[in-house]
Amino acid sequence: MKLEIGNFQVNDVVFGKKTEFSGGTLTINKEEAMTFIKEDEHITDLDIVIAKPGENTRIVPVKEAVEPRIRPDGRPVFPGVTGDVEAAGEGKVHALKGCSVLGVGMHYGSFGDGLIDMGGEGAKYTLFSELINICIVADTDEEYERFEQQKKNTAIRMATHRLAEYLGNTVKELEPDTIESFELEPVTKRKKEINDLQSVVLVMQPQSQMEEIGYNDLVYGWDMNKYVPTFMHPNEVLDGAMISGSFMPSSSKWSTYDFQNFPTIKELYKEHGKSINFLGVIMSNLNVSLEQKKRSSIFVAQMAKSLGADGAIVTEEGYGNPDADYILCIAALEDVGVKTVGISNECTGRDGASQPLVTLDEKANALVSTGNVSQLIELPPADKVIGELEALARDGLSGGWAYDEILGPSVREDGSIIMENNAMFCGDRIAGWSTKTMKEF
Amino acid sequence: MKAIHYINQFFAGIGGEEKADHKPEIREGLVGPSLALNSMLDAEVTHTIVCGDNYMGSNTEEAVSTILGFLEGKEFDIFVAGPAFQAGRYGVACGTICKAVKEKFNVPVLTSMNEENPGVEMFKRDVVIFKGGKSAAKLRDDVKVMAEYGNKVLTGKALGPADEEGYFSRGIRSQVWLESEATAAQRGVEMLIRKLKGETYETELPIPKQDMVPIAPPIKDLSEANIALVTSGGIVPIDNPDRIQSASATRWGKYDISDIENLESGVYKTIHAGYDPTAADLDPDVVVPLDVMKEYLREGRIGKLHKYFYSTVGTGTTQAEAARMGREIVENLKEDKVDGVILTST
Repeated sequence: MKLEIGNFQVNDVVFGKKTEFSGGTLTINKEEAMTFIKEDEHITDLDIVIAKPGENTRIVPVKEAVEPRIRPDGRPVFPGVTGDVEAAGEGKVHALKGCSVLGVGMHYGSFGDGLIDMGGEGAKYTLFSELINICIVADTDEEYERFEQQKKNTAIRMATHRLAEYLGNTVKELEPDTIESFELEPVTKRKKEINDLQSVVLVMQPQSQMEEIGYNDLVYGWDMNKYVPTFMHPNEVLDGAMISGSFMPSSSKWSTYDFQNFPTIKELYKEHGKSINFLGVIMSNLNVSLEQKKRSSIFVAQMAKSLGADGAIVTEEGYGNPDADYILCIAALEDVGVKTVGISNECTGRDGASQPLVTLDEKANALVSTGNVSQLIELPPADKVIGELEALARDGLSGGWAYDEILGPSVREDGSIIMENNAMFCGDRIAGWSTKTMKEF
Repeated sequence: MKAIHYINQFFAGIGGEEKADHKPEIREGLVGPSLALNSMLDAEVTHTIVCGDNYMGSNTEEAVSTILGFLEGKEFDIFVAGPAFQAGRYGVACGTICKAVKEKFNVPVLTSMNEENPGVEMFKRDVVIFKGGKSAAKLRDDVKVMAEYGNKVLTGKALGPADEEGYFSRGIRSQVWLESEATAAQRGVEMLIRKLKGETYETELPIPKQDMVPIAPPIKDLSEANIALVTSGGIVPIDNPDRIQSASATRWGKYDISDIENLESGVYKTIHAGYDPTAADLDPDVVVPLDVMKEYLREGRIGKLHKYFYSTVGTGTTQAEAARMGREIVENLKEDKVDGVILTST
């Protein structure tokens, strides 16, 4: 299977008469784009705002991030979500690089939403401060969840996927600046010199903890709570088969942008044929009951073993309860002789003294650590807020609070904030971007 | 900026073992090692506190309260104790006083000990303890490391992780940005390749070794067995003759029960600070079930009840200290050929 991603470097995004991409500038006819988004009648109030790196701008509550893309052959960018269920991972896709479409609540946030600072001290906490963000700022008619801490955020999230594809249309017919090629031969049809290398699988554990449909990550539009582990081609992940959900505390999440650009997949590709034979992805999940966790670890270990994997990387989209899946899966792989490395974040508490993962096992002897979800972060006021700052304190974002007898509220009168890293949008960059680690003090 | 330094009677030049009962005193200016500290620290060492190691060990509460009294009203930005090298009692004293000063005055406290010093295990979670040399030959080196770190603290400079700075980890894990800017993806794949090749690699999250003790096989015939009672619930004779600490215990006691039928209220009590003592003080048998064991003995259900019960306090007690006390107690049990132990907590 071969995927070619044609990249178009976006140096600027502006509003203008015609929605087009030219000379590195993406121009958006705001009115037309808004009309397109409002085709979904659940969007009741809407604005589109552009946020650029270095601006003293704070964006909150952020629900989703997507890289704008289009498939020249007309297949949907997100099969089963923005169009019919079609196979992903093969052929050509065009991508607007250096920018993302963000789904932002005009007023209301929820547990898994996050914050992005485009400039200043806060910028270092998220990848998205480095991108030009096209922010869909919207309110919806989803009254049943308006005051719920857990929200599906369906209308806003789906709007980001749709607008990403809409903007991708600007480069549908154009020649890309560069082409990235991702190709793996079928597992049993590889050359001897590749087969002779140590074989490796990537085990991904996307978020699927909510029993009710609508909150979890989707694979080809299918809710991953009702799912057992499956062998997938890494190209499917890079090519829109996976959609982010609306549940996990934000710093531990993989946004759809993360799936589309998954650094750990790209790194394994780099080593494929040199130091390893990259077999593919075992796509697992993160359900809550112990029986479900065990079942998934059995599937994963069996598949890895049957595929002849010598090594595995396991990575989880979450912390807390999902740590049990993470450690169980690592131990199950080690038990069948697959040498395993884990990539995840930790929760050592505000004082750093708590046990870093919910469960521990000595078999997990090779772990990469990407951050502490509960690290306290204090930031000065920003000149401009996209969304509604009060949401951080008021709406139950996992890293914010309305009142604390020692720390006060997360959002102060002057616009300065104090929060846990938990609410930094995809802040622990578990997909593999993170240049953070954890050290003993 | 001002600093105050704590040293023992030996380094103050008062004397060795024979002067170890020296009561705490505070002197203006520099004594012994504080000369070196003063020359390296970007703060003036205004006072030196001197205390005998035995005095601190045997009269801890008094010693600490006297020293805290000395410090009351004094201006100081940092408090330094030691270095204590391998000297066990000195190390424990440095840890004790640093912890108390930090709690009372909320200033940075620093000390230094050799890894063999028992004070490390007891206080490394509470106090920044630098990894020091074995003997006073390392005095200048050990003081220098403390002073350099102290200077960073005093000027608000960024502090590195424990292994870079050279102190024993306090068990605090905190996020840092890697200077190399290596991504998690790069680190993960590199770690996997090294693991596959059988090369060395360093996990970023070391999982502590679990020290699991296998469950002992059952006693075949209880009516022939010699049974002992051991508790971490802090039951002691009412005057606490062994002065077992109410928390973070380092001492244990053994008490003869051969001639009594139960542990009477008013004669025994608990000194454990980690639970409500009301029920245990009213009837200490609820923690150490001597009354029931005597009944069992009369009924012939057990062959023998070991002559003593053993007691310490479990709350805040480090695993290392608990293991040491356990080994010491076991020696006593082995002498009497005890077959089984009922170990009660709280």
